[in-house]
Amino acid sequence: MLSRVADDLYWFGRYIQRAENTARAIVVHSNLVLDLPRNVAVGWSALVEIMGVDDLFRARYGTGYAEADVVRFLVLDADNPGSVASSLASAREILRTVRESMPHETWEHINNVHLILQEGGERLLTRSRRQDLLQHVLDAALMTYGILIASMSHDVGFQFMRLGTNLEQADMTTRIIDVRTSSLIKPRAADEALRPFQNIQWMSVLNSLTAYHMYRRHERARVRGTAVLRYLLQDREFPRSVMFCLNMIGATLPKLPPSRAAERALERTGAVVRDANIERLVESGLHDWLDEVQVGIGKLHEAIAASYFKA
Amino acid sequence: MAIDWHQYRCNGYHDELFEKPGQPRAAARRLVDYLGNLGAAELAERRLAAELAIKIMGVTFTVYSEGRNVDRSWPFDVIPRAITSREWARTEAGLKQRVQALNHFIQDIYGEQKIVRDKVFPASLLKESVNFRPQCVGMKPRHGVWAHICGSDLVRDLDGTLYVLEDNLRVPSGVSYMVENRLVTKRVFPELFETGSILPVDDYPAQLYDMLAAMSPRPGNQPSIALLTPGIYNSAYFEHSWLARQMGIELVEGPDLFVGDDDIVYMRTVYGPKRVDVIYRRIDDLFLDPEAFRPDSVLGVKGLMRAWLKNKVALVNAPGAGVADDKVVYAFVPAMIKYYLGEDAILPNVPSWLCMRKKDREHVLANLDKLVVKPANESGGYGMLIGPRASKKEREKFADLIRANPRNYMAQPTLSLSTAPTLTEDGIEPRHLDLRPFILSRGDSVYVTTGGLTRVAMTKGSLVVNSSQGGGAKDTWIVDLDGETEPPVQVQTQAQKGGRQTQSQGSAARPARRRRPG
Repeated sequence: MLSRVADDLYWFGRYIQRAENTARAIVVHSNLVLDLPRNVAVGWSALVEIMGVDDLFRARYGTGYAEADVVRFLVLDADNPGSVASSLASAREILRTVRESMPHETWEHINNVHLILQEGGERLLTRSRRQDLLQHVLDAALMTYGILIASMSHDVGFQFMRLGTNLEQADMTTRIIDVRTSSLIKPRAADEALRPFQNIQWMSVLNSLTAYHMYRRHERARVRGTAVLRYLLQDREFPRSVMFCLNMIGATLPKLPPSRAAERALERTGAVVRDANIERLVESGLHDWLDEVQVGIGKLHEAIAASYFKA
Repeated sequence: MAIDWHQYRCNGYHDELFEKPGQPRAAARRLVDYLGNLGAAELAERRLAAELAIKIMGVTFTVYSEGRNVDRSWPFDVIPRAITSREWARTEAGLKQRVQALNHFIQDIYGEQKIVRDKVFPASLLKESVNFRPQCVGMKPRHGVWAHICGSDLVRDLDGTLYVLEDNLRVPSGVSYMVENRLVTKRVFPELFETGSILPVDDYPAQLYDMLAAMSPRPGNQPSIALLTPGIYNSAYFEHSWLARQMGIELVEGPDLFVGDDDIVYMRTVYGPKRVDVIYRRIDDLFLDPEAFRPDSVLGVKGLMRAWLKNKVALVNAPGAGVADDKVVYAFVPAMIKYYLGEDAILPNVPSWLCMRKKDREHVLANLDKLVVKPANESGGYGMLIGPRASKKEREKFADLIRANPRNYMAQPTLSLSTAPTLTEDGIEPRHLDLRPFILSRGDSVYVTTGGLTRVAMTKGSLVVNSSQGGGAKDTWIVDLDGETEPPVQVQTQAQKGGRQTQSQGSAARPARRRRPG
């Protein structure tokens, strides 16, 4: 496996996962906005915050955070490197260079949704059509993932792709939790009006990560903040929980040429997540703790890149 | 509504599918009947299906002037071109002969230069050749093969003769489209392939792999083979990636490779350096190795020539093979065939005037309005003058160019390229086309593709078929009329007439399995 190709496959995994999570976050938020009463409706800025592209957004659209602006920025904007269209374009560009190591259908799905986004443009962003468009993205991402699992050799290249997928998901999950829950855990005075709607907001956090049904089956109780957080951060069986993703990375590394640096970075971050006392963090320090986890994920990425991609 | 083929006019050109209006050639008879019955509306639908298939399959071609726009769908015409297997057998023999002579020539030029000493090939031509590489003098690649892969362009003139227009010995492209064209045609017209008389084309990647493996400097070991590409912005990148995938070899870019102190070529992998035995390079000589050629090349690999000259790695095609891929050297190929093989050329050259010869030059300058003038070393149809279509000013410009550098120009009569029915905006019309078969040389054997890539000038009346200049392509059929069987006759069995088969009837219908001789 060429180092360059390994790098590409790893990023392919990340881009697909990023596009999917971004699309889902928008779908869920759109639904949440419809469910909340007009006078207390949450704004659209949280979505931009989740993706960590607040500065870029303000430079381009100002501080109004109008729905149309935010959606355009996150779905189509080519100047936003994290937009759905950019992620898919990058994934497609990578596919073009590593096509020979991927099943053929992968290209057809990614290319297809890429063309829909490029050709459909703005008119697909209206509330009524947005859902369909984003559903295309979700389908393509899941199809791609499914095709790779079902028909790509689970060789070293596949393992790199899987590393990227899991690392990106762990990162996305922490981001979504960080931004979504800050106002839920300690409502400010201004958020008081939202209190009666706490339940549906927690549900939307779960939905952003397709976790609602799995959570219900797991907890068999009504949605409670701490339990939701514990589930999304520490559950060992739910594939989008941070712990699960880190464990997957732990299971993948031994299939690659040994890298002490990557193993050490993983052990460290894994321990931070495993050993955390969520109840206490909810009382205070959750935000700082999530920061620590994100930095840990960043270091893990750097260790992987240094070990394998810069040969 | 059925298509009325009597409406199709060949305008005096030789048509590949029709002898005269309404009368198809033998190889095309079934095809023409089929398309006729299909009708115009259905044909238009199939064409849309083909376009969609190409788009979804991602068969693309890049045009340089379009900057970063790397996605142009492969322009494809759904109506195939058909040739009988009898005619093809002769063409194949001619191509093999030609490529063998060319390989002898290249080896001779970088060796003893007997052909120059014997005054069959002028020394002056060699001196001024831009594709002669002094770095290669004295080299003997494995099996004496320099031009492992050759793409020769064939054209058919008014009288139906197939001529060789040029031989591409550097990095000929197009073979992936040949195979993909067939896939699309099978998807769009599956019914046509039921009789089995259209010979398959998909053997090429396997043949190519075997040839590459045979060039390994470490015979006996599982060879490590890589295809070296300039990257995704190259016009033929689709093909590079396609070939690598079909053969299961690594697709590498220059920075993926390095040459060690041991003069061995390695690729950078996640396991550390891995030795490479054979490189199918799809970048030009001058970019191969900044140490030996252009120092500013970022596409190549430092030290690659060193490794090749020491036989630590095979380069396919060999550097310097382009010396025979020169439109002036081309004129000497029939002489080479005679000189090295003692045979007459089976396939004729297009008559050519070499501007380096005084008499030829005068003829060319006096007849610029009738001739096609080509520079010796351009490809892709760039830098050409098509006399009858050029303005006076363009012709004058070329006259100056020729006088300034006669060695660099040759001229040929304007051929009346053959046509074939092509689906255009205005219905089915004749369009001019050529044919590029690919020839693989291993030393002990030569393989020729079944047919090749048919390129068609999509613009009415145009003779320029190059993909880089808006040409399209057609599926090319070699049709085996001798082996052709009538479509299987549907014999109604008792069971089909009478309903459900019973166990005993079923076994009676099948031939009983013969007992093993005891």
